[in-house]
Amino acid sequence: MTMADVQPIVDLVDVSRTYVAGSIEVPALRASTLRIDRGEYVSIVGPSGSGKSTLLNILGLLDRPSSGTYRLAGTDVGTLTEGERTHLRGSTIGFVFQAFHLLPHRTVRENVQLSMLYSDVRRSERMDRAGEALARVGLSHRVEFKPVQLSGGERQRVAIARAIVSQPRLLLCDEPTGNLDSATSATILDLFDDLRRDGLTLVVITHDEDVSGHAERRVAIVDGALSEGAA
Amino acid sequence: MSRPKMAATDLGSEALAGLVGRPGRTVLTVLGTVLGIGALVATLGVAQTAGNQIVGAFDELAATSVVVSNQQGFFGDNVRVIIPADAEDRLTRLNGVNAAGSIGPVNIGERLLKSVPIDDPLGQTEFQINVQAATAGVLDAVRGRLVAGRWFDQGHSDRADAVAILGPGAAQKLNIFRVDQQPVVFIGEDAFVVMGLLADVERQPDLLNSVIIPDGTAREMYGYESADTVQIDVAVGAAELIATQAAIAINPDDPETLRVQKPPEPASLRRQVEGDVNSLFLVLGGVSLLVGAIGIANVTLVSVLERVGEIGLRRAVGAGRRHIAYQFLMESTAMGLIGGILGASLGVLVVVAVSASRTWTPVLDPLVPLVAPLLGAVTGLLAGVYPSLRAASLEPVEALRAGV
Repeated sequence: MTMADVQPIVDLVDVSRTYVAGSIEVPALRASTLRIDRGEYVSIVGPSGSGKSTLLNILGLLDRPSSGTYRLAGTDVGTLTEGERTHLRGSTIGFVFQAFHLLPHRTVRENVQLSMLYSDVRRSERMDRAGEALARVGLSHRVEFKPVQLSGGERQRVAIARAIVSQPRLLLCDEPTGNLDSATSATILDLFDDLRRDGLTLVVITHDEDVSGHAERRVAIVDGALSEGAA
Repeated sequence: MSRPKMAATDLGSEALAGLVGRPGRTVLTVLGTVLGIGALVATLGVAQTAGNQIVGAFDELAATSVVVSNQQGFFGDNVRVIIPADAEDRLTRLNGVNAAGSIGPVNIGERLLKSVPIDDPLGQTEFQINVQAATAGVLDAVRGRLVAGRWFDQGHSDRADAVAILGPGAAQKLNIFRVDQQPVVFIGEDAFVVMGLLADVERQPDLLNSVIIPDGTAREMYGYESADTVQIDVAVGAAELIATQAAIAINPDDPETLRVQKPPEPASLRRQVEGDVNSLFLVLGGVSLLVGAIGIANVTLVSVLERVGEIGLRRAVGAGRRHIAYQFLMESTAMGLIGGILGASLGVLVVVAVSASRTWTPVLDPLVPLVAPLLGAVTGLLAGVYPSLRAASLEPVEALRAGV
């Protein structure tokens, strides 16, 4: 085993995030330590306003912690420049959002290719890999469709294809079933199980018990504080 | 850590997809630039076409005409220089002069003109008509044509023969339409034999309503002192030269006292016409281009605000700030370029249409339709700077919250 394999994907040590609005300081995430190993399937549960999104933004390099260190796949992201963080985000992390975030005027294939647009992937290879990713989520018959022509479940599967096509080491999902009915949610969760079996590291943020039940490990967050196991 | 590279073609196709995705908006946005560039191209083209056309028309007649007159000042009432009786001979000796002739009004006092020596109480038989003295060369110098008879020669003038030529206006009044029976007109009590009838002149149209007599006759009978105008018909291209020589030939002592009218130089005339047309419409074109630029800036800014979620998503999948800035910059530049191409085409069509309606030859500098689209692109580029910077400065977290 190489160093990269034994290092945790996510290693948060005493990470906190405080928002400053004028003279008022609002602690959104208290000093938290969290380690997620390669291949883990972790759910982060908590009521709204508990700091779930803040944690996700920090994990996804969309936001910088106020204090503490964050190592992503062995790299201390606190030392990186804005450009390096952007590149690391694009190459290491895949995002799945509650609202899908698909570009309405572009085809399914173009939406999936978007993840590879800002890295050194040739056009022909982008086409092939987008096709493979769409086959992986069972949407080979929808490649030239526009998002408006798809159902909610299909849209989220396009978003998942977009997230996995760049071969990320960490898949961050923010309420992935929040806009879907329970039957459709089940297909998405089955897909996550498949991805988990393929060795992908998943972090799913949710307030839905069914969703967190699929994960092998539960992290609860209440008032900006993390606790292992309990809901 | 190396920065991700992104091919320009990928940026281009992303920008293009952004435009094609909203065709209606793109068309309306581009319209301002189309009108601005179109107005500029059409202005330049029509100005060039008209400039060439006017020069062509002037070449025909005016460029071969030089007129020397002894009128001083606006009212011509100051002391006059005498134009010598042999001015015609002096001028025709100059190389480049085709014909020359002196003309001047004859003071006939209170005399009226009539063609019959009877006073008819029932009709008007006497008229007040200008009498002009002319030399033998005048007919050619004004490029006149006769309906009947002939122009007088130097002999008539030398002998002070009582002969006259009638302009068509005068002939109408005096009711004389043929000369084969040697009709006579009376200036007061003096009888003049009508030896020719003018049909038309191309210069000095005063002659058309006058009775014209030889200058020697006028001198002898009415104390005529001097012509006031010398009309010179010059060879094409000789006008500038003759204009400088004519005054010296006529009055070598003090040529400055004579006024010389020469045709404007073709090159300066064209520049003048183009300048007149250009300066007005170029301002209009510039204003519409500015309006077009503001339109593009406005729509690009709205587009940035509308696509905040898209920007957030792109940032999430690894797009740097510069990628976002480039994309919106390219979208606005592409809109400007499209507007420029359409505008240049429209402008060329306008030039052709205007030329066709006037049966002119369309003239357009080939650089104009080539540079115009670039001007449009630059307009779009400048218009996109601010919205692009706004787009690039968005924080990904904030942007993602907006949704797509």
